[in-house]
Parts: sequence; structure tokens; C-alpha cells
Amino acid sequence: MDVYEAVRAYPDGESTAARFALTAAEYDFSGIVVRNSPAAFDDGPERGEIADEYDIDVVDAVEIGGESRSAASARVKEHREEHTLVVVEGSDALNRFACEEPRVDVLARPMADGDVNHVLARAAKRNGVRFEFDFGRVLRTSGGRRVQALGDLRKLREIVAYYDAPYVVSASPESHLELRAPRELLALGDVIGFDREAVARGLAEWGRLAARNRERLSESFIGPGVRRGRYEEDD
Amino acid sequence: MKHLPKHLRPRRRYLAVGVESWPDGDFGTRDFQRECWYAAQNLLGDPGSADADLSVIDFDVDDGSGLAVVRVRHGEVERARAAIACVDTVGDAPVGIRVLGVSGTIRACEERYKGRAARESAERNVAFADARRPATVRGDRVEIDSESGFVGATTLDTSD
Repeated sequence: MDVYEAVRAYPDGESTAARFALTAAEYDFSGIVVRNSPAAFDDGPERGEIADEYDIDVVDAVEIGGESRSAASARVKEHREEHTLVVVEGSDALNRFACEEPRVDVLARPMADGDVNHVLARAAKRNGVRFEFDFGRVLRTSGGRRVQALGDLRKLREIVAYYDAPYVVSASPESHLELRAPRELLALGDVIGFDREAVARGLAEWGRLAARNRERLSESFIGPGVRRGRYEEDD
Repeated sequence: MKHLPKHLRPRRRYLAVGVESWPDGDFGTRDFQRECWYAAQNLLGDPGSADADLSVIDFDVDDGSGLAVVRVRHGEVERARAAIACVDTVGDAPVGIRVLGVSGTIRACEERYKGRAARESAERNVAFADARRPATVRGDRVEIDSESGFVGATTLDTSD
């Protein structure tokens, strides 16, 4: 399965997109999603150049945060056409908004600063918004905060499983040192109560989303099931 | 003490673990061993940690890159893998960890994975983000010493 990882690159993270691509290719990932692509590709090599050099898919995404729903909504509209993936950073203020907005692809770390309930899960399923299972807090914190992170993952897992809501899995690394290989993530998922297949599906979901959106953003796409093709000539 | 008869000896597997850190990362076998135990205990609990029985057999990390060989009990490889993935710092140094492979003997493990991690590193100044900065270069990898700590980059990002 083609597994992807969603990373935060320099200047927001500590490693450049190219370094993430190099390390991820070594770790057997099929691609990386750069969450902060407006900043990450601002100054430095182009996305295509990195992808060619390290033979790995590089997906441009934009992450939208903040406190205000209306500002977030405006930014989603603005970025939807320009970037392959639109990710909303979960918080008390934005969780509900993200789940009810079909233009959003992923609701990142929904439990870190907010909460998820049955209403949000139903809305997310209806609108195809993926919840993110963030393994980063399990990998990189300890003690009470880690216990909370595990509790949050379990709660989200139960809600997602019950409503069959779509999801993605990520370790949300901010430097190439925080990246962990897919097999390690599967093993960790297994220990903390996830199915191995479920984790693999969640990692692959990033790639599926990217492929779907690239098709939608391509010029020949008109609507679901409708695309511009070659026309039959009239005799 | 006399050795156990062969059929009673615990069976082992040896994990080849690639370890990476920033160039100023300074730690040794004991530090890494302690972090492995902590990670296993925190993730698997005392009984799980005792079952996995992680012990660092060989540790060869220089200038932020190298290989460790970790012995685990046969049948606990996946749980050990999960525990090792949770090692995010050794001492104060953030580390990148990856299990390169699993072998049945120490010798096979070393022969197979030893050469991979070894890369010569060199210090030089590179141009990055409109300034010249000191950096450690190892093959394609460039670790840039910026004011706000190290930045991981590659030769694509920099110019001489």
C-alpha cells in the first residue's frame, strides 16, 4: 500500500521539505504531504524538483488555523483551488466548522485542543472530511500528557469506528528526526489498540485524497463522473 | 554459572537500528540503553518491558549518525519495534530512529547493516536562506547551524 506522511517543513518545522523527502524515501514512504506548502516552497527548490530528485511524491497542502470561523472559511475558499489538500488545524473554534465544510479535506489533531462528538462525526462523514489520528503526541510526549493523548486517540477511534467516518493517520513530524517509518507506526498502532490494517489505510488515505483532488483540480474535470474528453466527430 | 541447555535458552532476535541526530548530539551506549528501557517501560509497562528484554549489544554512532544493535526476545519483535519508535530523545538530543532490519544472529545483523550508516561528514559554509552559515555535510544531507538551532536540509536547498 502506498503510505504517505504529512509533515511540517522549514520554516515552521526544523527540516526543509527536501530533507523530509530524502528521509521519507529512505523510510519506504511513497509520498509526503507538506502541510505548510505556501511557506515551505516559498524560497528553495520547487516541489517537482524535490519529487524528481528523491523519487517520491510531494503533495502541496495548506493548513488553516486561527480562532475565527469566518476567517477560516474565507481562507478555505481562497486556497481550495490552489492547493491539492486543505487541512484545518483542529481547535474548539474550528472543529465544527471543518466537519461541516465539504471543501475541507482533513481535520488535523481534532482532540488536541478541542473535542469530537457524534454530531461532528456524522457531519464529517457526510462531507467527506477526514479526522486525523495524530500519533505524534504518543511518540514524543511522556507521563500525563501522553496518557491524555492515548485517551483521546481511543475516544476518537471509538467514535470513528461507530460512524464509519473517514480518517487519516500521521505522526505529524516537524523535523526529519521525528519521522518514523511505516512499519514502526503499524507496530505502535498495534500496541495502542489500533488494527494494523486500519493504520495502513489511514496512512494511505493521504495519497488517495491527493490523487482524487489532483484529478478534480485538473482541467478536464467538470463534476463527479463528468470529465472533458475527446468528442466524437459528426459525420 | 553453567550455561542452560540449548533447548531452555531464550531465543533472541537482533534489531539493526539506524540512529540519527543533530551534529552536536553527544551520547553513548549507556544513554541509549536507558532511553530504550524507559521507552519500553512507558509503552509496554513493566511486564511487557521484561518480556521484550531490550538490550543494546552494539552502539556505533559518530557525529549524529550510526547504527545500534538491540537484542530482543524472539516473538516480541513488533512490540520492541513500537517501543524503539517511541525513543525521541537520548539525553537532551533529539534522535531519529529507524529499525533497518531484524536478524537471528549478531553477526548477520552487523554484516548486513553495518556499512549503511557510515558516511563521512565534513564541515563547511553553505548559502542558505540568503546567508552563509556553517554546516555539516554528509553525502546529500546538510545540517545547517542557524541562530535558532539546527536546520535539516539537503544539497538541493543549499549552494556553496
